[in-house]
Amino acid sequence: MKALMIAAVLLPALSGALLPLWRFKKRLYREIYVETAVLLTSLLVLCLLLCRPEGSLTVFRLTDKLHIVLAFDGLTGVFAGLVAFLWPLSTLYAFEYIKHEGGDDRFFAFYTVSYGVTLGIAQSANLITLYLFYELLTLATLPLVMHTGDRRSVRAGMKYLGFSIGGAACAFLGLIVLYSYGDPSLTFTYGGFMGDGMPRRTLVLASYLLCFFGFGVKAAVFPFHAWLPSAGVAPTPVTALLHAVAVVKAGAFAVMRVTFFCFGASLLYGTWAQYTVMAFAVFTIVFGSAMALREQHLKRRLAYSTVSNLSYILFGVTLMTPAGLAGALSHMLFHGVMKITLFFCAGAVMYKTHREFVPELTGLGRYMPVTFTAFAVASAALVGVPLLPGFLSKWNLATAALAQGGPLPLLGVAALLLSAILTACYLFTPVVNAFFPPVGEGGHGLEMARDPNWYMKLPFVILMIAMLALGIGSKGLLELLSRIAAGTL
Amino acid sequence: MNDIILLLPVFLPAVGAAASYIVGRKSKPLRDHLADAVGIAEFIVCAVLLAFVCAGRTFSLSLPSICGRGLSFKLDGFRALYALIAALMWMMTTVFSREYLAHYRNRNRYYLFSLLTCGATAGVFLSNDFFTTFIFFEIMSFTSYVMVVQDEKPAAMRAGTTYLAVAVIGGMVMLMGLFLMEQRLGTLDFDRLHTAVEALADKSVLYLPGALILFGFGAKAGMFPLHIWLPKAHPVAPAPASALLSGILTKAGVFGVLVLTVRVFLHDALWGKAILALGVITMVLGAVLAVFSIDLKRTLACSSMSQIGFILVGVGMQELLGEENALAVWGTGLHMVNHSLFKLVLFMCAGVVFMNLHELELNKIRGWGRHKPLLNVCFLMGALGIAGVPLWNGYISKTLLHESIVEYIELLAEAGGSTGIYHAVEWLFLLSGGLTAAYMTKLYVAIFVEKPDKPVEKKPYMNWQSALAIGLPALALPVMGLFPTPLMGGAARLMQGFMNGEGPEHAVAWFSLANLKGALISLIVGVAVYFLVIRLLLMRRDERGKKFYVNLWPAWLDLENLLYRPLIEKLLPFLGALVCRILDNLTDWGVALLNHTLLRPKPIPPREDADYEPGDYTPAVRRSYTFQRIAGSVSYSLLLFGLGFCAAMGFLILILLTK
Repeated sequence: MKALMIAAVLLPALSGALLPLWRFKKRLYREIYVETAVLLTSLLVLCLLLCRPEGSLTVFRLTDKLHIVLAFDGLTGVFAGLVAFLWPLSTLYAFEYIKHEGGDDRFFAFYTVSYGVTLGIAQSANLITLYLFYELLTLATLPLVMHTGDRRSVRAGMKYLGFSIGGAACAFLGLIVLYSYGDPSLTFTYGGFMGDGMPRRTLVLASYLLCFFGFGVKAAVFPFHAWLPSAGVAPTPVTALLHAVAVVKAGAFAVMRVTFFCFGASLLYGTWAQYTVMAFAVFTIVFGSAMALREQHLKRRLAYSTVSNLSYILFGVTLMTPAGLAGALSHMLFHGVMKITLFFCAGAVMYKTHREFVPELTGLGRYMPVTFTAFAVASAALVGVPLLPGFLSKWNLATAALAQGGPLPLLGVAALLLSAILTACYLFTPVVNAFFPPVGEGGHGLEMARDPNWYMKLPFVILMIAMLALGIGSKGLLELLSRIAAGTL
Repeated sequence: MNDIILLLPVFLPAVGAAASYIVGRKSKPLRDHLADAVGIAEFIVCAVLLAFVCAGRTFSLSLPSICGRGLSFKLDGFRALYALIAALMWMMTTVFSREYLAHYRNRNRYYLFSLLTCGATAGVFLSNDFFTTFIFFEIMSFTSYVMVVQDEKPAAMRAGTTYLAVAVIGGMVMLMGLFLMEQRLGTLDFDRLHTAVEALADKSVLYLPGALILFGFGAKAGMFPLHIWLPKAHPVAPAPASALLSGILTKAGVFGVLVLTVRVFLHDALWGKAILALGVITMVLGAVLAVFSIDLKRTLACSSMSQIGFILVGVGMQELLGEENALAVWGTGLHMVNHSLFKLVLFMCAGVVFMNLHELELNKIRGWGRHKPLLNVCFLMGALGIAGVPLWNGYISKTLLHESIVEYIELLAEAGGSTGIYHAVEWLFLLSGGLTAAYMTKLYVAIFVEKPDKPVEKKPYMNWQSALAIGLPALALPVMGLFPTPLMGGAARLMQGFMNGEGPEHAVAWFSLANLKGALISLIVGVAVYFLVIRLLLMRRDERGKKFYVNLWPAWLDLENLLYRPLIEKLLPFLGALVCRILDNLTDWGVALLNHTLLRPKPIPPREDADYEPGDYTPAVRRSYTFQRIAGSVSYSLLLFGLGFCAAMGFLILILLTK
């Protein structure tokens, strides 16, 4: 049973790495190969989710204390389940999309490898394993960011690399403090491994800040958010899956691990370190939305929206209560589903019409109804219209914040709502313009625009159904999340 | 106990919406029949439910597993009656829209969103906790947006944007209020709110959440200063949609205000004064705007605003009167019902005018209604009703509201308090009633009495379905006014329980001299305003000596264009963008600064050896050069030393701090 854990990492990693060797004669053969590998991996994750293996699996030993260990706990389940649901859909979408980019072998090789690495992050049982996979993820996704190969994408790639490596270096310093003050094996334990008697020394708290901002770079917390909008030059499946779900959620996931499973919420609760990180998260919420509002490039607008929404998650984490973590986990899941839909739509528009700026979408709704219906539903979900999932996670985050009380959490709730208003402004503008073009505008040169084929449409439909299902019937899921957040699952 | 039947009024229209959309892609006549059938079925369901409620049964339903927190519904007298009125309005407007929308594009979309809004509105009225209310309220706001912009003309789009902005901002502010309310009370369930409030030691902590929630519901109700969407959205929407917006969607906002008032701030004088003040301003401002307006539907929209003000005055009086608020409770409830019916009739009449002439301005439509007895009578019934003429239903509710103010003045005088302000309120109330009569006379005279500029050709102007849809509600108005005790009293008795009120101790003498006095004063004011202000000041003569209507309301005096739009479109984005751009570039600037100072690459030095090729300049060579330069430069050595020193001192300080 435990071997399944390592299989889930190795299967996509190996099949991705071996992909260039097969030299597929036809596009279809490659597609079958990649989709099979990805689906099998998702099935493995499903097995793991259903029959949760107890205990941990030591893969190999770095030193006598530091081991590379995999385990499967509740938090792992949330993250792994999310990526396992989205990866096959997104691969299907990528088959069609990548036709106009080229370089298919390289693309799908790294795309599949990233899946394994992401599952590695999810299943890490200690901080050093997490750190290893975290660095690997940066390296595995770098060629995807630079895929186009032009100046802009290479610069974006360098920016991504610089930010990520720099962040990881910061986190590494924190890791050393954890190593020397806490449990040297760095094994994740709910409530932290620093011991009850640990005084709240400035050094420990400062090292938490280092870890938070270090891992927070991937979660695009202000002021380390700049790489994310730039990385939008990557092909859309990459932006959609990696820069809205896998990579950025890995950052948020790492922050959760560090906060709740290394330092422990009780050590940090009520300290200046908590207030500092919360203030940054609250600020980023409003900041990201405001930047999205003035951004005219659709994918960059969505990227800034991701910046803002990731900080919803970080805000939940920095509340340092189980309720806050539960809210953060729910937003992690729901935002993944919503944002990937939005990016897919943006990609479908770029693929079919080569339009990428918001004013260029005017009137497109009539010609691409499925795409824009999906866009409208996902927008409404992200704004927080009831019956759709975004509303629930915001409600949970806000109630968790209010249960804690105090001026900063209250400010956070106000920031959530302000950000919701801004979200409505920056997402409803394209939706309204697409469906209700001003008289005499729109429609020029659009006669050929059509919805994409079923490779792209199927993900839209599945994601829309998923959003409605999550919005209406997620009571059980939310209870599960709060049990996970309380450390009982 | 769970009465699953309550899902029917909410989800029947939603299912019908989807079905009519699918059918409509195949056959348009079939879709129209289906939409009518859904409207009629909804009405029958609500009527049956009301019959059960009248027989003393209460329905309730909670679905704890839906939407994360669970939904909860309840059906008591007030809600059953209002669900029925909502269903009635949808039934009539759906029947009417078949003819009205016949030449419109995108009718499928209209029916889809109209029926979805119907379900959501039923959800609002049946909801039994603020969470459920909020969910359906938001859905209602968003689906009704599509009805407002049905035309897709620039004016409609602009009004739609205003509508959407008010809905989104109002919704979010309300949500903040709900969060705070739940944090302070621990529940949002209507049945438990009052007990939770009683248990609270310091009730003043509820004012902030209350005000935030009031913002959200008040925005939908058209309460000053959030009324801006109302005079813009009603005229541009198709007439059936205007009737719904004005008649029932605003009432959903009033419903929220009522719940807040009777469940959270029961008999709270301060809250009552605030509502009263806002109500009086809304009432007077709406009436004044309506007098100035020369557009048929805009006049009716401003009138809606004014009538909502009357209702809010009633809500405020309920609070001030405390335990003895019977008249105010009855007046509030009945005026809500009456206003829904008036606006149903009047907006559909306006719709008949528009669908024949495609004009709404009074100068262009005047005289069109001559020799059209059916339309004339229907419009007249609505006008007499809303103006509060005795023997019509508006008189009953306005009299009750007026008497509640009089009663409070008497109570205050007995207690020895100062009554000056409330006398002013009473006079403003009567004045607004007079203005109502004046602007309705203006509309009636313009359409049905004055001679048209060019002769109107005789042709059928509406089919029998539309005539039925307008005629039946119009007939109800005088019937209700003629038999107040069984009909209006009965309705009020159904509603009073919801508002925690008791009925009046003794039977109300509807047509006693004291009660007639208020209505007469209003009507005299109305006649005076019509002849002295409207005919003299608001009409001009053209070169041929014919009088025409002019709009003297200064165009710049518009809260939206004067204050809200500049604030939200210009000032806030400018400040936000300024701050955000600076912050966004902060890291990049830091990197750029480093690139241009510390990390600046060295210029390539010229090579002495002649056989040097640029390709030889490998990174290794460059590194050695850089290193030589650094080693050779005194300033760099000093700089590096300084940095190292700073780092060391920093580290020492850190160590000292932690020890």
